[in-house]
Amino acid sequence: MTLVKESPAVVKASPAPPAAARRRGRRENLAGYLFMSPWIVGFLLLTAGPMVASLYFAFTDYNLFSSPKWVGLDNFTRMFDDSRWQKSVEVTAKYVVIGTPLKLLLALGVALLLAQSRRGQAFYRAAFYAPSLIGASVSIALVWRALFSDDAIVDRSLRLFGVEIGGWVGDPGWVLYCLVALTVWQFGAPMVIFLAGLKQVPRELYEAAEVDGAGPLRRFWYITLPMISPVVFFNVLLETIHSFQIFGSAYVISPNGNCGPADAVLVYTCYLYQKGFDEAQMGFASAMAWMLLLAVALVTAVLFWSQKKWVHYEEDAR
Amino acid sequence: MQDNGRVERRAVLKAGGASVAALGLAAAGCGGNSGGSGGDGTVELRFAWWGAEERSKRINQSIALFEKKYPKIKIKPDFTDYVKFWEKFQTQAAGGNPPDVFQNAIAFVAKYDKRGVLLDLKSQVDAGNLNMKGFRAGLEKVGELDGKLLGVPVGSNTMSLVIDQKVFDKAGVKAEQGWTWDEFFAALQKIRDKEKVAGDTGYHSVMYLYDLYLRQNGKAFFTKDGLGFTEADLTEWWTDAYNRVKAGIIADPKKVEQIKPKSALADGLAACEFTWDNFAVRYATEGDSTYSLAPLPTTDGKKTGQYLSSLMLSGSARTKHPKEVAQFIDFMVHDPEVGKIMGYDRGILSTTEQFEAFQPSDPEAKKIAAYEDQVAKAGLLEEITPHPAGADTVEAAFLRIAGDVSQGTSKVSEAVKQFFSEAKSALEA
Repeated sequence: MTLVKESPAVVKASPAPPAAARRRGRRENLAGYLFMSPWIVGFLLLTAGPMVASLYFAFTDYNLFSSPKWVGLDNFTRMFDDSRWQKSVEVTAKYVVIGTPLKLLLALGVALLLAQSRRGQAFYRAAFYAPSLIGASVSIALVWRALFSDDAIVDRSLRLFGVEIGGWVGDPGWVLYCLVALTVWQFGAPMVIFLAGLKQVPRELYEAAEVDGAGPLRRFWYITLPMISPVVFFNVLLETIHSFQIFGSAYVISPNGNCGPADAVLVYTCYLYQKGFDEAQMGFASAMAWMLLLAVALVTAVLFWSQKKWVHYEEDAR
Repeated sequence: MQDNGRVERRAVLKAGGASVAALGLAAAGCGGNSGGSGGDGTVELRFAWWGAEERSKRINQSIALFEKKYPKIKIKPDFTDYVKFWEKFQTQAAGGNPPDVFQNAIAFVAKYDKRGVLLDLKSQVDAGNLNMKGFRAGLEKVGELDGKLLGVPVGSNTMSLVIDQKVFDKAGVKAEQGWTWDEFFAALQKIRDKEKVAGDTGYHSVMYLYDLYLRQNGKAFFTKDGLGFTEADLTEWWTDAYNRVKAGIIADPKKVEQIKPKSALADGLAACEFTWDNFAVRYATEGDSTYSLAPLPTTDGKKTGQYLSSLMLSGSARTKHPKEVAQFIDFMVHDPEVGKIMGYDRGILSTTEQFEAFQPSDPEAKKIAAYEDQVAKAGLLEEITPHPAGADTVEAAFLRIAGDVSQGTSKVSEAVKQFFSEAKSALEA
């Protein structure tokens, strides 16, 4: 990348005629591509190639062993009749709709608190960020399982307040919330972004508002929120897309990695995995993957469309 | 400038060349060498199995013995747990690179035969590289399908009822040969009433037990290409079970789920569990009670529907060294020393040579031997019924949907429909 950026300067410095410069430019382009080639080859072989193949498989019946058989839109129509597929959509939607706002609210709340504190900010920032680094790991999911089991710490603490739930992990009604708690706990990453956004808000706006007699709530609502709305938008977008793809923690938290009990944490990717790798229905699994891509694209499009209504970019005001 | 440019270009080209070379190397590495042979005539076989640490230790010792006797054959071991094993195997087999020899089970034989993955060992038997004589109790038939020999049994096992002897004694109930299902459930009720503990861990989700129940009634779980029972049959089986969960005769499924992979019987959540007899060893190590193997409940007071099944060793149809594969399998199932090393880890040793060579010293192994002996002497063993391609997927669906039933998340009628539709597509695939 650096090489490509610097090349115009080199071209300008040399007093060569235009044709030679063009040739040289082309040569430098070639060099640039050569430098990028490890990435390009990797992208073509490991990302683009498989994607094209999966698009083709999505319209076939393919069990890995016999060659794929063209079935048109069969896989897609079958999906809508498949009650487990419906269940996986329901579980994923629940997870996204409950988990993402909770995580972002917590992130914003803590960021607001941290933005005010003077001392030890670096320490707190690091401490709150840590879960985001380790949260996606298998070991943490295992710890989570232990925390939410019968008679473990969560169960006991709740019982102190007279709430009798028992173990969350084995209970189809509760295990999804155990998963939601795990994602909410990883609020550190969006928090750091919020914090950066909060630092960008000009002090003088608050001072002016204070002079005009605005209380803390009004200042938050009329200054902070509009000023950081691009950051909010960015976080919402990122976290939503991210939570659609949840797999690892659901796989580990459920006993035997079957995304149960009773398919209670059968998230979309989990079902995709079972169809593809346990049942060898690669055609169906590929079709599912493309449906997920479509759904995420649609949600992203809606978010982008909606930002006109609520995201405030400073340049607009000028 | 000019000079610089040239140097740069040369460096770039070199770097490019190096990266291409590196890619080439990486590609060569990916290709792997499935059972390659060295210049000195040494043959390498990849051998994969699933199981716990203990099994792997024993198998590695056996491999060392084999390599000493056949210095020209090297065995490359590869092991994982059960679920990962089949995921990995499927991917490797699909990529045309399955292990040369691998552990196999009855539910997978038809499936991988249909896909052309399994080596027919018949010709190796005829060539004298593999001896199929000396197997106990007709076990050599377990790996046969449509006149082909697709797997060689390593150890027999049969379905059993493992009971917590202390709880049974305290409640004053006895598991006796020929007891009926009614007597069995009455005993569970008594355990519930007297000992305040559930009777069973969840019998209704064990496909191989339901198979035996059906066999007692002249049916079987599978026919050659489909299911051997009706929706009404299964509705009855699961409705009764659901009522028993609610009555507390079967352990709370929520608790059973969350202690996994530990067994609910070893954890004291229930007083008995249906499982393969060779798994019985685990309870003594996991739990702190005394565990015994008890006779299965019957429908008519006699028939249990039991048969001997077995883990097997199979070869890959793609192997370049079928002769060596056959020699290795032959050694693993016939050599008395291997029998002594393996013990009853994969079931009661399948050949008489190995069976006679191994004298079980620990009480758990003795119990298993005594149990199978007792079942055989009572004349209960019948022939194994077919397991069509897709049986493994059907078993997983049965386990999962039975779980939905006991958790109460789906009605029995819906669950049965769901199971039949999933089974249908699995058996057609």
